[in-house]
Amino acid sequence: MFEIISNWVAAFLTLCIFSFLYKDNPFYKFAEYLFVGVTAGYTIPLTWEQAFIPYVYRPLFLQHNFILIIPAIIGIFYIFTFSRKLNWLSRYPIAFGMGTVGMGVPLSMHASVLVQMHGAMIPIENINTLLVFIGTVTILLYFYFSKAHTGTYGKVVKIGIWYMMIGFGASFGYTVMARISLLIGRIQFLVADVLHIIK
Amino acid sequence: MKRTLPLAIVIILGFLFVGYVFVPHKISQDFYDWYMEWMKAMSPFGVILGIMSITMTHTARIQHKVPNWQYSFVTLIAMIFTAFAGFAWGTQEGTPYMWLFKNVQMPMGATMFSLLAFYIASASYKAFRARSAEATVLLIAAIVVMLGQVPVGVSMFGEGINDLTQWILNVPNLASKRGIALGVGLGMVATSLRILLGIERTYLGGGE
Amino acid sequence: MNIFERLQKLDRRWIFLVVAIAIILPLIFPFNSKTYTTEPTEKLYRLIDSYAPGPNEKPVEKDRAVLLCFTHDASTMPELFPMEIAILRHCFERKIKVFTITFIASAAPIMDYAINTVKEEFPEVKSGENYVNFGFKLGALQLPIILGMGEDIAEAVDIDAEGRKVSSLPIMKNIKNYNEMNLVMDFSGSSAGGAWITYARSKYGANVGVGVTAVMAADEYPYIQTGQITGMLAGLKGAAEYEKLVDVFAANPDPNKKEFSRELLKDPKWDNAITDKGIAYKFKQARIGMNAQSVAHIMIIVFILIGNIGYFITKYKQKQQQ
Repeated sequence: MFEIISNWVAAFLTLCIFSFLYKDNPFYKFAEYLFVGVTAGYTIPLTWEQAFIPYVYRPLFLQHNFILIIPAIIGIFYIFTFSRKLNWLSRYPIAFGMGTVGMGVPLSMHASVLVQMHGAMIPIENINTLLVFIGTVTILLYFYFSKAHTGTYGKVVKIGIWYMMIGFGASFGYTVMARISLLIGRIQFLVADVLHIIK
Repeated sequence: MKRTLPLAIVIILGFLFVGYVFVPHKISQDFYDWYMEWMKAMSPFGVILGIMSITMTHTARIQHKVPNWQYSFVTLIAMIFTAFAGFAWGTQEGTPYMWLFKNVQMPMGATMFSLLAFYIASASYKAFRARSAEATVLLIAAIVVMLGQVPVGVSMFGEGINDLTQWILNVPNLASKRGIALGVGLGMVATSLRILLGIERTYLGGGE
Repeated sequence: MNIFERLQKLDRRWIFLVVAIAIILPLIFPFNSKTYTTEPTEKLYRLIDSYAPGPNEKPVEKDRAVLLCFTHDASTMPELFPMEIAILRHCFERKIKVFTITFIASAAPIMDYAINTVKEEFPEVKSGENYVNFGFKLGALQLPIILGMGEDIAEAVDIDAEGRKVSSLPIMKNIKNYNEMNLVMDFSGSSAGGAWITYARSKYGANVGVGVTAVMAADEYPYIQTGQITGMLAGLKGAAEYEKLVDVFAANPDPNKKEFSRELLKDPKWDNAITDKGIAYKFKQARIGMNAQSVAHIMIIVFILIGNIGYFITKYKQKQQQ
């Protein structure tokens, strides 16, 4: 019985959101504001249990690792974002968090650039690898905006544009599939779990 | 003090982390362990920022009686009640807190995103026009990929459509995405380097 | 105003209604359709299957494991949840050691729900022996844990979702770091294994597979070609393909037919899963969804064609009038 009521509550809220497709209405507004509130409220106990207790309370008060009072105080400085006078204090926790950018430089260079370049430098054994090579080079030339895209250079860059159009077309095809899948999921919930038409 | 010290912290920590990537010595690992212990102690307080922001925004809406201000009560009451439910009755399976998450937050979040399906259909009908040769190529590629993904497409056009879709994904799409990925990767490295060297300071915000 | 001009000005709410009907009807009236498996999915299936214990090996002593990282919230569940279920079912059928973890608070209940949904059919599967849920770890800890698991998983994760010390669990026998937990599957709607590729693969050589929403799928092909991503499940289609592979091989009642074979895959009987009452609904959700997907895709293509035909005819008529 309880599960049935729960499913109907979820179904009612789902239909409130769908009602926006007809036009904006009080049911949709109510659901929208409720969603924001519940989402915000959800993070508070979870952060308390999963982060504050094991990493602040326990080490400080039970294990007496008192040095951690320093990062705890720096963390509290986040709230000064809203203060006009003491706004500058909020820069400290942000700065501490930004420290890992140093690690990002060599590792992103490796993963996003060097490995991709290595992958692009494959022997041109057949028509497909030739096409991939031409496409990669012409697209990289397209993104070089310091030179005007005119004359022969413009014609070469045009090939890159054709490649990008095919790539964007493929992305659009996948995007349609993704969006429709999300709707299918909700309709499956309404049809299977709420109305029990299919199981 | 107000800008210089945070900047110095970012630069010093940044270079220490570059060292961490390349130096396998124990001292490098100890530095990393120290940093992570401090980050773990600092991170829970970031959530306070979000909660304060929502509370201040909605109380201001109620105070100034902006249009639809009454709904701000819904947000504030929902936030307070959900947090209270989590503290009072726990966050395990079967508690009111989890009930709220599973039957209120999860369905509504999923439904918000599912609205996009309707908008993409409407956009396909009203806006997707083959106005130029490039747009036509984009349209044809999209149609081939859409047909190749579904069983009906293969039933109508044979397994050739599946092979054509895979060819589009493995050849022109690969080249296109690789070119874009290289550009994005270089941009990311450049931005990280600018932050590391203290040239990029937007994360410090405005003011003195 | 002729028919084409009227069609151009059609209220979009009629389009919304057609979309709704096109999706509801195939779900209410399910029909069988052939699922074609593709190379990225097959590659992933075979890699995970290779982690199954041999006939003379005890599952708890196997030195291979899979880590499933849930990096999404409820909004992308329709695409990603069926693939998570399919992979968990594969692991439970073949007694492959599986760990689950998330760094997003809203994914923690999804992870519990996925494990409990599949576990219902496998009463012999035990937490701590066949699988462990590491639970939700704070986002700020993502990097330390990803890097820490390259040295020692039990030390990096520390405690699981049930509060137990990971180092004390039987499943951790012969599992120390990425050398043994050699595959990480990241289910995500946006980041697509980015952190795992950048840190776990670059530094420790861990295999990274991704289960992504279809929106991200086209962007991942360069990473598949370089080998940074070992295999990919792309959206609902990827989930449907994996469901089929699990039905054909891992869940095959004949113990001699559990190894991957292209011949077995071609048998048309495996395409009747949707109307087969012997297969639970939860294990064929993606394939049922693909029927609605088929109808919806044809509908979108028809919309594009009608919209363009109307546009060109209207443009031609306007030119003639000038």
